[in-house]
Amino acid sequence: MSDMREPLLRVENLHKSFEGLEVLKGISTDIQKGEVVCVIGPSGSGKSTFLRCLNLLEKPTAGHIWFDGVDLMAKGTDLNLHRQKMGMVFQQFNLFPHMNVLQNMTCAPLMLKKAAKDEAEKRALDLLGRVGLADRANAYPAQLSGGQKQRVAIVRALCMQPEVMLFDEPTSALDPEMVGEVLDVMKRLARDGMTMVVVTHEMGFAREVASRVVFLDDGVLQEEGTPAEIFGAPQNERLRSFLAKIL
Amino acid sequence: METWLQQLHRTFIAKGYWRLIPQGLRNTLLISLGALAIGIVIGTLIAVIKYFAADNGKLKPAAFLCDVYTTVIRGVPVMVLLMVLVYAIFAGTRNPLGVCILGFGINSGAYVAEIIRSGINSVDKGQMEAGRSLGLSSMQTMRKIILPQAVRVILPAIGNEMISLIKETSVAGYVGVFDLTSRGNQIRNLTYDAVNPLIAVAVIYLILVIGLTKLLSVLEGRLRAGVRHA
Repeated sequence: MSDMREPLLRVENLHKSFEGLEVLKGISTDIQKGEVVCVIGPSGSGKSTFLRCLNLLEKPTAGHIWFDGVDLMAKGTDLNLHRQKMGMVFQQFNLFPHMNVLQNMTCAPLMLKKAAKDEAEKRALDLLGRVGLADRANAYPAQLSGGQKQRVAIVRALCMQPEVMLFDEPTSALDPEMVGEVLDVMKRLARDGMTMVVVTHEMGFAREVASRVVFLDDGVLQEEGTPAEIFGAPQNERLRSFLAKIL
Repeated sequence: METWLQQLHRTFIAKGYWRLIPQGLRNTLLISLGALAIGIVIGTLIAVIKYFAADNGKLKPAAFLCDVYTTVIRGVPVMVLLMVLVYAIFAGTRNPLGVCILGFGINSGAYVAEIIRSGINSVDKGQMEAGRSLGLSSMQTMRKIILPQAVRVILPAIGNEMISLIKETSVAGYVGVFDLTSRGNQIRNLTYDAVNPLIAVAVIYLILVIGLTKLLSVLEGRLRAGVRHA
């Protein structure tokens, strides 16, 4: 009966409209602990909006999102508390430019009293070491390359010890030679058992790392399955034409 | 014919009138600094309210009041505002200096609010999202992430506002506060020397503004060193 366990994230009939334009037209899916879900689809398909709805950076127009069994859209839900457990990595990194790398990583744990200063710094330095940036702890974001910035952004989110990590096209703003170093960090994270939802155009990554691939188009979840199913035997017509264009 | 030095001596030294100058300067500085502090508090409050009102309907009435405040204050000469405060609202006050500080503060707040608002708007939207995604509240993100970045952007504009403020305080004499300008005027009246007291007052304002400008550029340099924009 292992299928009956509660999913970490349950999305039910998610709708989102921007000023009359319906971007998400009722998406439902469950994300189990330890899953790596890659969300693919053409631009404008709603995949970034879907991801940003998961931690309510975008407020869904209708539907439900349960995280750890809590309805995030219910009145009275302490969103800030739940966001602490949902790390997010952005396309544009969004590091805090007025703080050095260490401060970027420790400011939220310290402000939210998740850790004492020495404990938070120890964890930050440990995480930095794991992504090969131990020597950059005192650098400011402006002194880092794009790839380094994104690696810092990932460990900044990890510093909060999240239960799930959301990635919004994490390599799309990078120079091609820096994509690999960021994907490597994400691969290692997946191997370590982190639950991940990744909006990406990196089909190689999706094929290699995803436990499930979700294809969105026109605000609808058109097809989902294992990488082998999605890339090897796509059923949906739109998915087939999407794959034909990019592969 | 009296030499200029003899003139200076007769005007400022002979009867000790020079002592009026530091007294006036003290009031000018008190008004400027006090008003600036009040202006920054009011301005920050308004800017933050208007920022959050953009996507929080409950703050709409507060944002409307803020708009009324900035519109009225920016539309009325500070001189008139001061007279309303001193002769009407606080008529008979024993502390015209305090009322004056308040008046200039209220006036400055309207301008500082617009400056801070432009600073907040200049910070990338992703910064708020990054803060919120880490679990910080919107106020925590505003305080630790957005405002520190906004300050770096608006420092030159705040400097301009401080300079205008120092010079605007020269109308304080009209509501019975003895600031630098009115003390200079007193000396003029007492000595029938029309030129030298005014020159002295002008030179002191100039020195204040030059000093302030220097101070601000040092501060700007320090803040920039903190970020090290490559």
